[in-house]
Amino acid sequence: ELPPSHFPAARAAAVALGYLRYLRGGPGRGLQLRELRRARRQDIDDVGHKYYLELELEDVLDKDRTVSCTAEVLYHLGSKSSAPDVQVTVQGELRSTEEADQEFYNRIRSLEEELVAENIPDSHGNVPPELEPIHLLAWAASGYVIWQNSTENTKFHLAQVKHVKQVKRSDEDLQFDYVVLLHEMVSQEVLPWEVRLLWHPRRGARVSR
Amino acid sequence: ANMKLLLIFGALIGASLCLETFVGHQVLRIKTKNEEEVKQLQLLESLEHLELDFWINPSAPALPVDVRIPAASVQSVKAFLESQGIEYSILIEDLQDVLDKEKQEMAESAQRQRSSSFDFGAYHTLEDINEELDHLASEYSFVEKIQIGQSYEKRPLYVLKFSTGGSNRPAIWLDAGIHSREWVTQASALWIANKIASDYGTDASITSLLDKMDLFLLPVANPDGFVYTHTSNRMWRKTRSKIPGSICVGVDPNRNWDAGFGGPGASNKPCSDSYHGPSANSEVEVKSVVDFIKNHGNFKAFLTLHSYSQLLMYPYGYKCTRPDDYAELESLGRAAASSIRSLYGTSFQVGTICKTIYQASGGSIDWSYDNGIKYSFAFELRDTGRYGFLLPANQIIPAAKETWLGLKRIMEHVRD
Repeated sequence: ELPPSHFPAARAAAVALGYLRYLRGGPGRGLQLRELRRARRQDIDDVGHKYYLELELEDVLDKDRTVSCTAEVLYHLGSKSSAPDVQVTVQGELRSTEEADQEFYNRIRSLEEELVAENIPDSHGNVPPELEPIHLLAWAASGYVIWQNSTENTKFHLAQVKHVKQVKRSDEDLQFDYVVLLHEMVSQEVLPWEVRLLWHPRRGARVSR
Repeated sequence: ANMKLLLIFGALIGASLCLETFVGHQVLRIKTKNEEEVKQLQLLESLEHLELDFWINPSAPALPVDVRIPAASVQSVKAFLESQGIEYSILIEDLQDVLDKEKQEMAESAQRQRSSSFDFGAYHTLEDINEELDHLASEYSFVEKIQIGQSYEKRPLYVLKFSTGGSNRPAIWLDAGIHSREWVTQASALWIANKIASDYGTDASITSLLDKMDLFLLPVANPDGFVYTHTSNRMWRKTRSKIPGSICVGVDPNRNWDAGFGGPGASNKPCSDSYHGPSANSEVEVKSVVDFIKNHGNFKAFLTLHSYSQLLMYPYGYKCTRPDDYAELESLGRAAASSIRSLYGTSFQVGTICKTIYQASGGSIDWSYDNGIKYSFAFELRDTGRYGFLLPANQIIPAAKETWLGLKRIMEHVRD
């Protein structure tokens, strides 16, 4: 059993959150950790360390509600090489974003010029309302990066979207090429990462390599 | 009628005085019914020695005539008007009263203007912050701006000293912005400085605190880094010192203190954001504080503001063992976190640095604790990662307010 206020559980929770943002995030949904309620760690010989978490999440666009979920995060031995295995189970329903997603999709598809933006939020923490969906998609994109690159000795947060450029595609996906700044808490480094994100209202987000 | 006019005017001549104030002066509004009455008022107007001051001159019967009458002449002019059957009413009973009220209102408004001309709910440049420090020092007799040293790039390190008297009273240290990208901390420190200054004398807790203790507040502990976050790189954390043999710049000022220096949780690589520096206190920003506190010799608390993560931590960071005063610090930390939460429901986790965030050597509160300052706490302010370092300005004041409640709780304990 681990104290939720101590860092090992908090780091595992950040991985679970990154993973969930990638899986379920979108232009109309920004999942955030409200509280880490409970955490356990199991050391599995020759395999690695497995964390069992009970989380309470909220959607930044719908802060009156919370949703509970459980997560398992397995950091492999010699974890430099592979990403942690993550499983998340959401109890109950996340608020539907169908309408907002479709609206966003149509808006971007109908742009004459490809969208370009930088510094989201800006130095003063401002995000123009029309860029908030782009910001939330960056959470999904960086969620993937965070999940893939986390170890028991790291804790990543998205610090800022340095640059984003939309790339028009011949298929139905939207494509956004991001440069995100990730803040790594343990080393205190702020590191730029390039991430290409594909998104579609029904197919969701995918990071493309 | 003209004879009467002359007699009364004669009396008025004698009565007219030349005063600078407007005590007893009245302003009358005269309603003329015909051309004849207008002419009589125009006659009155021509008598300069009466020093009647027409605010609206007599011109046509339909228009009112407003006139200011010196105190000594008031009764006579009224008697004249009445004897002529000319209607009037009193617009202003005593002009000096009105002027006094106006002056007071203007002073109050200017006071409001002065104190609200600095927007505590916005992020500011170093110049603006230093100006506000000057303003606070000039406005409050018990607030003094002192310089405890200068940064690597020769910027002054300014500390606000809050002292209502005594000689080297037991003191509390509070700093912000040691990591320059943590903008909510410098901003909160300014709000807190203004809060303490303006509430002394009215708030019982602050008053009794400053009546017994001194407070030293360093709002921008790393001015070079701070300027750099404005001009070049918003995510800059360290100082801006040149490192011999490296192209990289800057030392993590919170790994540079002489407490487990060079141990785990700090990097020996100059390009790292947690580089501890060539030696303990190599950074002038750190050394200046160390020297000041040592020379003072009577500090009882050392409090430092960081962001983000919403944590309230006490020693140790450089080692994972509990400090001797663990029970008291844990209990006080929880009480402070509870105070913080009481305002907006913001949760701060409480614990030692090593258990809560990571093992980190060379930190300021470890140094202060090991140098006899028992009440050593480090705050990590809002938020928990949604905006991180880029906290929206509209959260500055809420963050400052809730943090202040936590600081106050600790200070009250120290005082008692």
